Amino acid sequence: MTEITVYILPVLVLVIFLYALVKGVNAYASFSDGVKEGLHLFSSVYPALLAMMCAISLLRESGLMELSSQLIAKGIPYIPSEIVPMILFRPVSGNASLAVLIDIFKTCGVDSMQGIMASIIQGSTDTTFYVISLYFSTVGIRKIRNSLTIGLIADAAGIGMAILLTILFFQ
Amino acid sequence: MNAIWLIMIAASMLYGLCTGKVDMLNGVLLNIGKETFDFVLPLLCMTCFWNGILNIAKEAGLLKKLEHLFHPFLKFLFKDIRDDEETLGYIATNITVNMFGLGSAATPMGLKAMEGMQKHNPQPDTATRSMVTFLVLNTAGVTLLSTTIIAMRTSFHSLDAVGFMPYAVAATVFASAVGLLVDRWWNYRD
Repeated sequence: MTEITVYILPVLVLVIFLYALVKGVNAYASFSDGVKEGLHLFSSVYPALLAMMCAISLLRESGLMELSSQLIAKGIPYIPSEIVPMILFRPVSGNASLAVLIDIFKTCGVDSMQGIMASIIQGSTDTTFYVISLYFSTVGIRKIRNSLTIGLIADAAGIGMAILLTILFFQ
Repeated sequence: MNAIWLIMIAASMLYGLCTGKVDMLNGVLLNIGKETFDFVLPLLCMTCFWNGILNIAKEAGLLKKLEHLFHPFLKFLFKDIRDDEETLGYIATNITVNMFGLGSAATPMGLKAMEGMQKHNPQPDTATRSMVTFLVLNTAGVTLLSTTIIAMRTSFHSLDAVGFMPYAVAATVFASAVGLLVDRWWNYRD
């Protein structure tokens, strides 16, 4: 699998550049524009991530995260206790689960089983609560019917599949 | 979010102080600002680079091509707004941009799609079936290229920064399929 995955990014870039060449797009200018847009991200990402990193570092250093994760991990078989906060935070906040991911990379290592499992979980679903509250509140809808329930069912399916795949292929 | 954050920090402080971990708490309080900055900076540089590459794809019309591929599928999924080409277009763009892991660029399109669907809504304070389907697709988050996670794994010197991707794609496709099936089964029984 590793042999194939290393080709994904170079081939993707090749396809995009060939296509741009054929279409005669000013690729140089659109690249710079895209980078400029990316720079604006810093002012919105850093404050949110700092808030979450601070809370999660404190949870870890105080020992409270270990205590609660072990309590919850006892109830669910096959899941390393480091992964529990990831599962809890993923549907609630993108920045919180990103902070947990960094934390797992730091404590378990990026290529450890926990590190890979957390990466797959992070990529497997989006932040359900955030998306639903933002999208519905923008158009003034208060009765959201069963969208939250279905969203969380989908999250559970994605996270469950992520855990299963990691155990099958990376253990 | 505010309440969760406050409780997380207050509970950690209290627990840490009671169990004699005051030095560790100090360590966090004094270093977290720089630690987060050191981590966000390389991440941001990577994201900027990919934003640039994907912007080329967008301006060359490659994303438009992808949207056309989805169109028949979307007409089937969103029966209630089948004739509203503009809204379907926003939905297609939102899903395509999401696929490339550009969440923040996808949001404005998603909001436009919501406004489009709201125009056909007979009860403006209640979600329509199409809205529920759209949000299920969005929260399951079909992502084919997770640039943020790749960037992060690279900055932690992973030996295989992209190896997780096929599995993440499998999991996200599975999540969306389950979400869509439950939605069909629950909301379209007539």
